[in-house]
Amino acid sequence: MIWVTWRQHRAQALATLIGLAAIGIFSLITGPRIVAAFRELHACTVVPGQDCSLLQDSFDQRFNGLQFVIPLYMVIPLLLGVFLGAPLIAREVEQGTHRLAWTQSVTRDRWALSKIGLVFGFGLAALALFAWTVTVWSGPLVDASDSRFGFGSFDLRGIAPIAYGVFALALGTAAGALIRKTLPAMAVTLGGFVVVRVFVEVFLRPRYLAAQTVSYPFLQESPRAGLGDWIIRSNIVDPTGRFVSPDGGIRVDPQALGQACPGFPRAAGLDKEQVGKCLSQLGVHTIDTFQPGNRYWLFQGIESAIFLLLAAGLVVFAIWLIRRRIY
Amino acid sequence: MNPTALEAASLGRRYGGKWALRDCSLSLPTARVVALVGPNGAGKTTLLHLATGLLQPTSGSIRILGEMPGANPDILGRVGFVAQDMPLYRSFTVSEMLLLGEKMNRTWDMNLALDRIESLDIPLTQKIGTLSGGQRSQVSLGMALAKRPELLLLDEPLASLDPLARRDFLSALMESVADDGVSVVLSSHLVTDLERVCDHLVVLRNGRVAVDGEIASLLRSHRLVSGPRHTGSLNGVGQVIDRTDTDRQTIALVRTDGPVLDPAWEVGNVDLEEIVLGYLGGRDGSAEQPLRAVKKSRSEVGS
Repeated sequence: MIWVTWRQHRAQALATLIGLAAIGIFSLITGPRIVAAFRELHACTVVPGQDCSLLQDSFDQRFNGLQFVIPLYMVIPLLLGVFLGAPLIAREVEQGTHRLAWTQSVTRDRWALSKIGLVFGFGLAALALFAWTVTVWSGPLVDASDSRFGFGSFDLRGIAPIAYGVFALALGTAAGALIRKTLPAMAVTLGGFVVVRVFVEVFLRPRYLAAQTVSYPFLQESPRAGLGDWIIRSNIVDPTGRFVSPDGGIRVDPQALGQACPGFPRAAGLDKEQVGKCLSQLGVHTIDTFQPGNRYWLFQGIESAIFLLLAAGLVVFAIWLIRRRIY
Repeated sequence: MNPTALEAASLGRRYGGKWALRDCSLSLPTARVVALVGPNGAGKTTLLHLATGLLQPTSGSIRILGEMPGANPDILGRVGFVAQDMPLYRSFTVSEMLLLGEKMNRTWDMNLALDRIESLDIPLTQKIGTLSGGQRSQVSLGMALAKRPELLLLDEPLASLDPLARRDFLSALMESVADDGVSVVLSSHLVTDLERVCDHLVVLRNGRVAVDGEIASLLRSHRLVSGPRHTGSLNGVGQVIDRTDTDRQTIALVRTDGPVLDPAWEVGNVDLEEIVLGYLGGRDGSAEQPLRAVKKSRSEVGS
């Protein structure tokens, strides 16, 4: 079965390896420059009280262009599901070759388990290599922006992308076994994957554990700055805890400030320090709702567990379909 | 050696609400070539799929070579199957296809497969997708035979072949039957070509067995009788399988153990095709029209 599976899927395997090689080469070319720039920035930020904003700006400006990889890398797990998972069973049934395969001396169960096992094993290895490459390569970028939980960061690093890919493969396999036509199975895999990913990302991930809050005077730095927290919401409230404006933000109007704070230098315009002084006199606070940064790996684990459990369910369903519903 | 190649008891298979095969009881002997005949949709493919273990019965039971079909690698290895339309991996070369057979079977006679393919001048490096229908059927048959099966199940192997390829396929089949004494069950919706290769006949109609028997004895026990037009039932001629009444004449296919003695009837022998068509055309009359038309024209010309 190893040779048979290899012979049937070697084109996809080759394409996967070419893709991985391309990502690897790209990372090797751009990686060292990012590391060097980050080292320079880091040398500044470790000194307490030093103003590194110029350095930070130039770092951001230099590497902002690399954000184009985010959407590309984001679809890689999906590609595995669409081009490796969906045709796995569907193409056999579509071309009738399952009847050839199941009437050789290999039982249907062994056929299904070998095929699924080998393809998933290969997919897992490819995904692990992909996730590791992206994690290492983007390390300085994420550290510089202090946003490990952000979109395009949490989803592309650590173990989550591996779980997404396994889920996509399982979804493709099950859709193929259910629909038995390659193209519709590919379409369903695509749609299903996007729906589940968005749902988990938008509705579930912020709620894996109860969020915490921290309150601090407006325009001051959060006491939790630099801890890598995931700020889910940031609201500005008056001393009674009410939102200053309906959307929780604030509109800074020199006229209003001048009236509220005696001695506010109207002519000076909006000096950040003066505005902050005035607002803290008024008792205006920022309340951040956040997930602490030290929950990162816990959240990665929960997210991965969700997708791996879904994947396991889909594989069981696919095998049940192969045993009972396909002939 | 097991005495029966295929044994079915009240076998039935339903798809959704529709019975594709119903109450089918059969006992097919080994070392015979069995023709499984019926119009499209009669249940031939369903029966063969049940016999390979691709399908599970809805009711009743089926045994091949005394064992449950498809239950384990051993029984899978003892049965060669060529599915309808002869599925093969189109992107494989011929030799990769044979290698697949070797990898997926415990018994595999690679020399036999290679000899057959080479004797037919099919290049081993050619892609399956570029082969002609006849060549594909030969590769499929070669793969089934290389398993050295005790039972060979062929689903409509002749349907997609032109007459020349059909003849080549049948002679290749006959050769290996003669060499190895393999039992064959071969389905077809065509009756021509079968008479010279088959020695047992099963006619399926609307999911039920219409007739089952050795061809030689079926030919002995059936007669085509014709005489002046009758209106009522026909007496003294045996069991009437099918009758056609024209303005002047009544023609009937009858089954009888003895001779037809009534001098009012002209009695003739029948061929396999007439028997098959008679059973397909009988009683509830839902047989495929073209077959019925052939039968009528034949019997009228003959009378």
